[in-house]
Amino acid sequence: MIELNELTDAAQKAFPAGSLSPARDESWRLAAEMGWLMVRLPEADGGLGFTREASTALHLEMGRILSAMPLIPAQLGLQAMAASHDFAERAEWLERLAAGEYAPLPMLGAALTPSPDGTVSGTISGVFEADMAAAIIAQLPNGYALVPLDAPGVSIVERAIWDPSRRLFDVILDGYTPTLMLTDAAGAKALHDQLSGEAQLALAADCIGAAGAALDMTIEYMKVRRQFDRPIALFQALKHRAADMKTKITVAEALLWKRVRDESASLTDLAATKVLAAEAFRFVTEEMVQLHGGIGLTDEHPCHLFLKRALLNLQLCGNADLWNERVGREALSATG
Amino acid sequence: MTHDLEALRRDVRSFLKAQAPADWRASSRTQDDFVRTQRDWFGKLVHAGYAIPHWPAEYPGGGRSLAEQKVIYEELARADCPRLLLSFVSTYHAFATLHECGNAAQKARYLPRILEGETWCQGFSEPGAGSDLAAIKTRAERKGDVYVINGQKVWSTMAQFADKCLLLARTASDGPKQAGITYLLMDMKAPGVAVRPIHQIQGDEEFAEIFLDNVEIPVCERVGEEGMGWAVAQATLASERGLTLMELSYRMRGALGRVAGLIRKHGHEDDRGVLRDFGVLVTQVDAVCALADQFLDNRINGIERIGDASIVKNAYSRALRAYSALGLRLGGMDEQYVAPITFGDLNTGNWMADFMNSYAWTIAGGSEEVQRNIIAERMLEMPREPKGWVL
Repeated sequence: MIELNELTDAAQKAFPAGSLSPARDESWRLAAEMGWLMVRLPEADGGLGFTREASTALHLEMGRILSAMPLIPAQLGLQAMAASHDFAERAEWLERLAAGEYAPLPMLGAALTPSPDGTVSGTISGVFEADMAAAIIAQLPNGYALVPLDAPGVSIVERAIWDPSRRLFDVILDGYTPTLMLTDAAGAKALHDQLSGEAQLALAADCIGAAGAALDMTIEYMKVRRQFDRPIALFQALKHRAADMKTKITVAEALLWKRVRDESASLTDLAATKVLAAEAFRFVTEEMVQLHGGIGLTDEHPCHLFLKRALLNLQLCGNADLWNERVGREALSATG
Repeated sequence: MTHDLEALRRDVRSFLKAQAPADWRASSRTQDDFVRTQRDWFGKLVHAGYAIPHWPAEYPGGGRSLAEQKVIYEELARADCPRLLLSFVSTYHAFATLHECGNAAQKARYLPRILEGETWCQGFSEPGAGSDLAAIKTRAERKGDVYVINGQKVWSTMAQFADKCLLLARTASDGPKQAGITYLLMDMKAPGVAVRPIHQIQGDEEFAEIFLDNVEIPVCERVGEEGMGWAVAQATLASERGLTLMELSYRMRGALGRVAGLIRKHGHEDDRGVLRDFGVLVTQVDAVCALADQFLDNRINGIERIGDASIVKNAYSRALRAYSALGLRLGGMDEQYVAPITFGDLNTGNWMADFMNSYAWTIAGGSEEVQRNIIAERMLEMPREPKGWVL
């Protein structure tokens, strides 16, 4: 617990509340200096060997400031590399990544076609901040591979997204020959499930942190904004909406911490945690825009940054419809 | 510590395996059967030492830590035993009031009787004073050694079966409305006490009205000083919330199987819309369990904050509404035909009754709206409404 508090305190000091989406490259350097890229790396590999609680605490703080740096895909990439014990260049890459090079794991699906000659072509979507990446770690038809972005047959295309706090790219493979395999096709499923669960928790933490910040900002505004000769925070109809926002966040956060600490939680359990957190985040940001009134519709006010991040988070790593159905199906068969 | 908790868990589990009443739902379909089932089960739990884990150690089965109490309630929920509804006010509210604010004679007289099955009810709410409890009007006039009571109480849970009543009455009406309230212990068989059960929308008679016509209560039955009853009432009300909501949340988790049963019964196993709705509910209930756990853990660690209990209550009652609403919807037309109900339970599988009953949780014990005010004003520090608004 001491470690957690220290991490949280350090994060809040380095990235103060209210200063939203600080510059990506400076943030990244700062995070690397503070050792955040090594938080989940095993001690045997030169990392800090912390648990899921530690990375969750960091992602929650980075959600709070709508961080522009891609800590979540970076952490996932590092974990994939750490898990790839057969990979010849593992030690070298772990050192490079822990020191601040960036090799993200994509957060959306890929449409790839293998050719008989062993090459792969197609599009890998959902790569955050690919313009600062040395490589990506992607699931190809024959297993997970490290794909250097300067290799022949690899290019990146930015796809403009509505969420201005982050940038998304497609990685285009055109007759690319994978050479740096982290797993074979059989090992890919286990790695996918492990990383997918991690991604769900990280996104859930991002949602909870951001939703909390959105609520704080909304309440501050309601206390100073006056209508009909009173601060609007005085009106019971509006106070009750703030109370409901707080309740939804608190419920989703309770589930998040319970499952972060539950090593036996399944991938579906972790995905359900993210869905609940992302739905709470969306609820809070929709209320945020409404309760800010006209100013909430303007580009210069930060309301929309929260709303747009919430809507993107809902789509990453499987959307609510997909996971809710799976939760229902599994719960049904569990009672059979 | 953890070892002891696991040992306790095993003990409770083996007791429940041997003693938990089977098929109590079917045998709680008349009021009389319900009362008999409740009294039997309470007696067994008292005997086993699991009825009053929150009482001090000098009482049999008392002296348990909050962590141990949590284990006991988790197991009671897991085994799907009847909740101790009839003795709830006695073992929590009456106990807390007497233990914290009663004098030595009152404690010596009443606490052992509760363990023998004496049943208490609560005379707090009144017509016109529900969630605004301080607005009560029932009067207590001091005449020599007695208070003479006139007025009316409402929403008293199972007052029709009670032997004694925790009564709030007004001894003065000048000054702030919280002042001038006096806390009294009333014999339900005293002359002038009339009880009328309230027939509720789901067919149960869980609540009752109490009419008080020149009822005399000896002055020695007063708890605390005259006019200081509001403070005593706070002790009553703060006595149980965390454990109850934890128990109820876990009971609802267990009862998700009833919804799954409906999905199968009506052939919805591959209906993606139904599966999604069920999935949303499962996550909502899981989250409420996590929240109730967190709340109790915070209490155990002494870091409870103002407003926490309100958040748990609102989250639980909304989940209960969602649970019973989905059951009612999936049950279809079947649920529109009247079927026998189980008295006094929340998830009986009689979906219409359960759905209607779920409203009790968004209203009783401080309505959802009052809880929202607490969350907004006390926790989020939003401004309170000015006093003295007049229409």
